[in-house]
Amino acid sequence: MLARTAEYLFWTGRYLERAEDTARLLDVTYHRLLEATPGHEEVEAWLDVLRAVGLADEFEVSGRTLDGWSVSEYLVLDPANRGSIRQCVTQARSNARGVRELLAVELWEALNSLHLDLQSRDLALDVQLQPHELYGLIRQGVQSVIGVVDGTWVRDDAWRFFMLGLLLERAEMGVRSLRIRQSRHDEDVHEWFATLRAASALGAYRRRYATFEPEALIELLLLSSTLPRSVLFSLRGAETILTDLVADERSLSLRLLGRLRAELEFADPIELVGPGLESTLEVVEARIREVAAAVAAESFLYRVDLGLHSLHLVPGGDPR
Amino acid sequence: MRFDVRYRTVFSYDEQVSESQNELRACPTTSETQRLLDYRVTIQPAARVFSSVDAWGTRVDAFGIRRPHDSMTVIAEASVETSGSVMPAAAPRLEALRQKGFVDEYVEYLQRDRHTDFGAEIARAAAEQVDLVAPDVIGAILAIHRFVGQTLRYTPGSTEVGIAVDDVFAGGVGVCQDYAHLAVAMCRSVGIPARYVSGYLFTERDDVGSPAETDAVVVQTHAWFEAAVPGAGWLGLDPTNGQIASEHHVKIGHGRSYDDVQPLRGVYLGPGNSDVEPVVEIRRVPPIDLWRSGANVSVSAVDAVPADLPLGVRRYSDPHPSGSSIRQQQLQQQQTGAVRTGSLRSGHDLPERPAPGKRNQHTRT
Amino acid sequence: MHTVGGMSGKWFEGYTTDGFFDEAVDGGGGLRPHYESIASTLDALDPADLTRAERRRNAAFRTQGITFTVYAEDDESTDIERTFPMDLVPRVIPADEWAFLERGLIQRVTALNRFLDDLYVGGMQIVKDGVVPRWLLITSDGFTPEAFGVPVPLGARCLVAGIDIIRDDQGAYRVLEDNLRCPSGISYVVENRSALMRVLPQLFATEQVQPVDQYGSMLLHALQRVGPPAAGDSPTVVVLTPGIYNSAYFEHVFLASQMGVELVEGRDLVVEDHVVYMRTTQGLRRVDVIYRRIDDDYLDPVVFRPDSALGVPGLMAAARAGNVTIANAVGNGVADDKAVYAFVPEMIRYYLGEEPIIDNVETFLLWDPDQRATVLDRLDQLVVKPVAEAGGYGLVIGPHATDAELAAARQQILDDPRNYIAQEVISLSRHPCLVEDHLEGRHVDLRPFVLSGEDVEVVPGGLTRVALRKGSLVVNSSRGGGSKDTWVLAHAAGDASADGEDPGEATEFLTAPVRTAGLHPVGRR
Repeated sequence: MLARTAEYLFWTGRYLERAEDTARLLDVTYHRLLEATPGHEEVEAWLDVLRAVGLADEFEVSGRTLDGWSVSEYLVLDPANRGSIRQCVTQARSNARGVRELLAVELWEALNSLHLDLQSRDLALDVQLQPHELYGLIRQGVQSVIGVVDGTWVRDDAWRFFMLGLLLERAEMGVRSLRIRQSRHDEDVHEWFATLRAASALGAYRRRYATFEPEALIELLLLSSTLPRSVLFSLRGAETILTDLVADERSLSLRLLGRLRAELEFADPIELVGPGLESTLEVVEARIREVAAAVAAESFLYRVDLGLHSLHLVPGGDPR
Repeated sequence: MRFDVRYRTVFSYDEQVSESQNELRACPTTSETQRLLDYRVTIQPAARVFSSVDAWGTRVDAFGIRRPHDSMTVIAEASVETSGSVMPAAAPRLEALRQKGFVDEYVEYLQRDRHTDFGAEIARAAAEQVDLVAPDVIGAILAIHRFVGQTLRYTPGSTEVGIAVDDVFAGGVGVCQDYAHLAVAMCRSVGIPARYVSGYLFTERDDVGSPAETDAVVVQTHAWFEAAVPGAGWLGLDPTNGQIASEHHVKIGHGRSYDDVQPLRGVYLGPGNSDVEPVVEIRRVPPIDLWRSGANVSVSAVDAVPADLPLGVRRYSDPHPSGSSIRQQQLQQQQTGAVRTGSLRSGHDLPERPAPGKRNQHTRT
Repeated sequence: MHTVGGMSGKWFEGYTTDGFFDEAVDGGGGLRPHYESIASTLDALDPADLTRAERRRNAAFRTQGITFTVYAEDDESTDIERTFPMDLVPRVIPADEWAFLERGLIQRVTALNRFLDDLYVGGMQIVKDGVVPRWLLITSDGFTPEAFGVPVPLGARCLVAGIDIIRDDQGAYRVLEDNLRCPSGISYVVENRSALMRVLPQLFATEQVQPVDQYGSMLLHALQRVGPPAAGDSPTVVVLTPGIYNSAYFEHVFLASQMGVELVEGRDLVVEDHVVYMRTTQGLRRVDVIYRRIDDDYLDPVVFRPDSALGVPGLMAAARAGNVTIANAVGNGVADDKAVYAFVPEMIRYYLGEEPIIDNVETFLLWDPDQRATVLDRLDQLVVKPVAEAGGYGLVIGPHATDAELAAARQQILDDPRNYIAQEVISLSRHPCLVEDHLEGRHVDLRPFVLSGEDVEVVPGGLTRVALRKGSLVVNSSRGGGSKDTWVLAHAAGDASADGEDPGEATEFLTAPVRTAGLHPVGRR
């Protein structure tokens, strides 16, 4: 497969997943705050959302005020924010458009429909009047695309690069939202419930654990091998795919990913929880980024960041 | 006269260059007044050279380097024997320039291009020179040749490649390339077919004084021009040195202008700037052979050329100015037909769109 | 003015031909036999059914992304993607008419291939023999010295040609222009067909229409035949696109996926030792044939524009070395030149020893003083075109032009006669189109696609373009044009129907009107 094609597919997956994760975060934050008293806590909560998606600095630069409405608008529809949901979907579509000949017609149509839907909607009004419906719709839209991927795409390298991007994004986003919560040293049960809900894991948590324990939460969201949105689950999936993609078993990306997966696999949640947890999560997050960088270096190298210069000689000119 | 020419150019780059693709036009041509005896090209880092002859009859050596390098050396070595051009005995009149067969045969050397796109000032000056000697064609060519030599002052580094010929004329300074383009433009403006010539000049006016035979002199690649004389063929003249192209002139090739016969053109991929150091060593050696050539010019007779064909009227215009972004270039492609849209604008510098992935990496850090 | 009699139900009630040649209705107001099956199918449908079908088709094209993009000047976020409008009433060509067109197109493209090969690698015999003037070719914008000596296997230089054909007021088919560089529109031929089959399947129930979806395999086959000798029997083919911002990007995607080959951009390709490779996740992979949709000027920054970011450095040297084939060949633009077009009939006689099957539109060459004088006298009755433009740009239609426009055209001709040609106004045939709840005649042309590989072949049908604005003669999409599905029937006109038809009617397309004496292109004696 063309290196450029592989990169486009990888980013199609990443952008799609990011759109969904952002919608999930916004949804649970919005609902949790409905139950809480407004004030300082609210500002903190929205700041957490921005930090979880890695856009806190950009938001500050944008000059917007830090409140629910403004953050939601920024993360849903701001055209200047490349991480907004609408821009993520647009980017996913642009990337997919660059490799359309490889995509099944149904897949392209599902993605294009989602894009057209978000383009034609008055998203600002939706954010104000029916945020829950909007976030639900985005989640469903992305999931229907992923459903088509799952149900129709031949398991070839094209699919693998798409899924690799998606899973690495999911893992990274998962670690990050855990880390942001953790940094608050917050024992508020509502906070944790919101985090669980954002990962579609609240039901699973209740069935498995009777009471709220930080270890249980880490065990589920970070280390579960059965919860589809846990970090370990995503990394295992990514590793399987990468093994099929990379011919060389000693490739850097595969080694980095295998090591990280193994460490999480055999980690003890009780040891993890404690004052060192936040920095552990930071390391995990950085390692996931290293894996993505290694994949890029191994597979996406094509002429893109090099300047084109022309050479010529002038007769009679002084040699300079 | 027999010469050994050693052309050596070193390109050095500030940073590593990952790829370079080039075309070299350094090989002396074989013509009625010149014969190539031996030619060899060496590239460092080593590269496979593919040689061919272009539409103008010039040998082209194409090569590419596809591994990181911080300098590139191109060496072309030639042995050549020259005899210098002779002033034609014929004395055609200006009317002969309008003959259909003549115009048809030389039409490419009557057009304007980006280096010879003359304005009214140049045309007026040329017409004045021609009037002085009318109706003699050779006289007209020589008058233009002299005029160019007197009008321009040789000033190395005074002009950049790509300068408009009108600006050369107005500025009054230039290098040999500018002399040649101005002479070509003036000839064409009065209907005399003219072409640009690239080559080497063996000159004894070296820094160290007049060298002895078999000593090498260090020179630059040189440029002069040739004008077509009805009934007699091409006449080579070197306005920079105010002389007819002599046996000291080693011709590489000719074209409509510099672009057709650039000594080296190419592109490289990588950051940073390049420095270039071209050196030509030319050495006179004793002749080994007697000169003779049977080359002739085939003439195609076409009677369909209209009598009043206003050739050369079209000014040169670049359809797409350079410096456009990838996005603009993608828009500009001529997809003839059904889905071509109306707003193929150019000239606005749109921001270049990075690959989707790259853009994203920035938001993440 | 003729009104179609009541023989064919509600859709053709009140339909008028207004004195134009109509594809569906003859001069006496009767429905042509090859349209009867469509007319009777339409009778079973209400206007509302057709409106619904049209909406479904538009929605389908939008979700599939079958669009062209109207670009904003400076801001990509305001680009608009539009669907190319398609009229639901198909254009029908009976088998015998098609056989005629097919022969004529094969003849024409064969001669054009021979001409271009002669020009760039054959020593210009046609010039030496005095058939086409040398100066005319040299002064063409499309003349490309860089293409000299670059071989093309089988001489298939116009691998894909789009020949624009019109029908005049007598119904005679004529070639209006040749598109030999990167003709686009084939994707619409295939997509229009599949859309029409989806939204109005009943139309196909009673007719046998030649399929068009084999285009991808025809194109791949042709491309594989022109591979360099070293590539063997199954050369690696790629489609080279400028990228997603190009207005025809959808078509590039379409072609790559129909052929099952990689769609590459310039930066995906690399030249090493004069061999072209593409960069894959598994390393470099050799490329043998490039079907490029990038203009000549941008193909290789070493040889053409040095600032081209779309091209592949070193590509031309690789092609010259015979290690890769570029299709369509570099330098074809010279034969697209509308002044050179005037000599195509002479090329057919010269290279093939045959009389042209399909005539040109009579063309005045403006460097000829007599022809120029005639044209300047009759400027308000003629069409003036710049020789190098495609897509209707720079066109001045005398009868529709203002005095100021005519004066400007006159000045342009006087300033640079080589750069313009003039033609009689041809009022293009008309075809019934759905306008709100009824049918009206609109002008149409036809672009068949001709492929050159081992043999020269024509895809049955082609793109019928419609000037959707009433009275307009301009069919280009940028200027209010749309398209139609184009049917080539498996049977001849009249065979499917027992209805009596004027026996002369079915063959009227064979006779072109007599040329006006004294206005022949130069080179004719």
